[in-house]
Amino acid sequence: MATKRVLIIDDEETIQTVVQFGIRLTVGWDVITASSGPTGIDTAKTERPDVILLDVMMPEMDGIATFKVLQANPETEQIPVIFLTAKAQAAERRQFNDLGVSGVITKPFNSLDLPEQIAKILHWPLES
Amino acid sequence: MTSQRQTQKGALSPASPKTSPKTSSKAVSKRRDSIADELRRQRQRVELFAEVTLKIRQSLQLKEILRATVTEVQRILQADRVLIYQVLPDGTGKPISEAVLPAYPEILGMEFPEEVFPKEYQQLYAQGRVRAIADVRDPAAGLAECLVEFIEQFDIRAKLIVPILQNLNSPQINASIPENQLWGLLIAHQCSQPRRWDDFELELMQQLADQISIALAQAQLLGHLEELVEMRTAELREANHSLQQEINDRMQAESALRQSEEQLRLITNALPVLIAYVDDQQRYRFNNQAYADWLGQPPSQICGCHLQTVWGEDCYQRMSPYVEEALSGRAVIYETEIKIKTGAIRSVNVTYIPHLDEQQTVKGFFALTSDISERKAIERMKDEFISVVSHELRTPLTSLHSALKILTTGRLGTLSTDGQQMLEIADENTDRLVRLVNNVLDLQRIESGEVRMEKQSCNAADLMIQAIESMQPMAQQHEVILSNHPVDILIWADSDYIVQALTNLLSNAIKFSAPGDTVWLSVEYIDSAQSAKSSGARSVTPAVRRKGRKSAKSQPTPAEVLFQVRDQGQGIPADKLESIFERFQQVDSSDSRRKGGTGLGLTICRKIIEQHDGRIWAESKLGEGSTFFFTVPALQQR
Repeated sequence: MATKRVLIIDDEETIQTVVQFGIRLTVGWDVITASSGPTGIDTAKTERPDVILLDVMMPEMDGIATFKVLQANPETEQIPVIFLTAKAQAAERRQFNDLGVSGVITKPFNSLDLPEQIAKILHWPLES
Repeated sequence: MTSQRQTQKGALSPASPKTSPKTSSKAVSKRRDSIADELRRQRQRVELFAEVTLKIRQSLQLKEILRATVTEVQRILQADRVLIYQVLPDGTGKPISEAVLPAYPEILGMEFPEEVFPKEYQQLYAQGRVRAIADVRDPAAGLAECLVEFIEQFDIRAKLIVPILQNLNSPQINASIPENQLWGLLIAHQCSQPRRWDDFELELMQQLADQISIALAQAQLLGHLEELVEMRTAELREANHSLQQEINDRMQAESALRQSEEQLRLITNALPVLIAYVDDQQRYRFNNQAYADWLGQPPSQICGCHLQTVWGEDCYQRMSPYVEEALSGRAVIYETEIKIKTGAIRSVNVTYIPHLDEQQTVKGFFALTSDISERKAIERMKDEFISVVSHELRTPLTSLHSALKILTTGRLGTLSTDGQQMLEIADENTDRLVRLVNNVLDLQRIESGEVRMEKQSCNAADLMIQAIESMQPMAQQHEVILSNHPVDILIWADSDYIVQALTNLLSNAIKFSAPGDTVWLSVEYIDSAQSAKSSGARSVTPAVRRKGRKSAKSQPTPAEVLFQVRDQGQGIPADKLESIFERFQQVDSSDSRRKGGTGLGLTICRKIIEQHDGRIWAESKLGEGSTFFFTVPALQQR
């Protein structure tokens, strides 16, 4: 499978780091990081990643607001977005789905499992 | 008039024999004088008679009348003895009133034998006979010798007897049917010497006897009247007494009622809760003081007002469905928000209790409204806390967890054996911490009611496959074989939570199995009849058992789907089969640490199944293994 490019937008740098490490170690995909919504949006526009992992709870501009901007922009609207959240209630999941996100991954997760989870959500074939 | 006429008649008759044939002037003059004397005497007698009658009539008491009669007659006639003799029904009689000069014996009260006064005499007197005897010894008087002897013992020389008659029919003078009975005799005696009774004396005696007759009739009437008055008085007294008693009773009852009302008012006014009674027209009939404190509307102002008027349109719209329900006879409890007089919004818990009369007609309802704003605020704080903890714990845990996992791959460098061991300890315990945090938060959310099961139609087989797939890595790790027997049955459930329950049970089964053991997951459809039978037969947890029984009793038990997770583990002692569903209650306290469990898995399972109106229980044989069962409602089609 061709190398994928993943953008992780999370205000927690440790999360960025473990996601980066986990994904690179398991499948060797490119991981680009951003620490806030606005930075993430800019990065998404310039880098055009294959998927965006977006933290829901961030100060100032949260994940939902960020997602709405991404969706409103023709340059980024096609990029699938997966929410990273500590909230995992069915009602919240449905709210996220209604927004049009591709999927939700609940914290705490194991970053080594991320590629498999992403591939499953986006129906990417994953070589074992 | 009668007495006057008779008196005049009596006055004229004695004058005629005294007329002299001489016509000389002296004689004329003498005669004129004589006539004048006679007229004066006549006038005096008339006056005297009127005076006596007046005296007699002054009293209504018979005894008094009789006494006055004998006294007056004795005085006027200058008789030695005057008495009233009463004839008794048996023919005997006795003097009942007497006026006698001191020189002669009293005969008052002496009983006279019948022989003295035989029946034929009585009859003659009853017909009105008057006897005037000038000298009892004179044979012309015609008295028997024995009678003369008898009366002489009382010194009687002359006597005048007039009958006293009593009209039996009516006290009124009744000419048409004169049925008179001899009541007694008015008798005048002259004891000192014989005496010739003149017409006036006769007339007087007769008149007075008549007066006595009238007095007798009046006395009879009076007696009757007094009896009546006494009877009526007694009746009135009795009625008055009853009335007084009733008044007292009512006053007591009213006083007790007032006191009770006052107590109720004091109690209701002292409570920091809105208490009201609303009638079937949705109008307030009672409000406690809290209405004034909360809404600024005193009870007197609210009484009679419609709910809509008191609460305003918006609030009324919110409460209206519950009001309707209460007025249809069902008790209602709900939570809502109200605006109080300060403009602040308060969260309240409202209870409506319908008031039914004896015919089971709803007359209104009692409304209790309590302020739960503080509780709600605490609940909100708790929810916020959970939310914050959820996020704040999970984020660092993710980093820690992932970092350790990455380290354990060895791709970042090789550690010494000891280092590797330490890393594994860190990794395993981070896993455990993750599970614990997840379980604590899950349980908290389910218990707080924050989580509502999103039930929908789903296929039991899909959920089983999903659960088995997620548990496969763990099973492989423990070298346990998972045996799945999925069946396509539609259930009404929140698929995420049923999968969570299944994975919890599978996880437990795997943990307590030995390498090489098998864990079975199966499902079956149970129709209503089987379901009702099974609900009573199996050992279930108390909370769930109550639900099961309730549904079995109140309505036909709906069809259910029964899930089973069976293992070949060590088994569970019978006395622990129920307690294992309580939080942090494991069979062996060392299990938690040894098996890496959180002690919350089964509690979460139970909460999930309860939320689905299902039942959960365990059966076990020590040394042979355990089976965990739970049911969820089936959709009726198969």
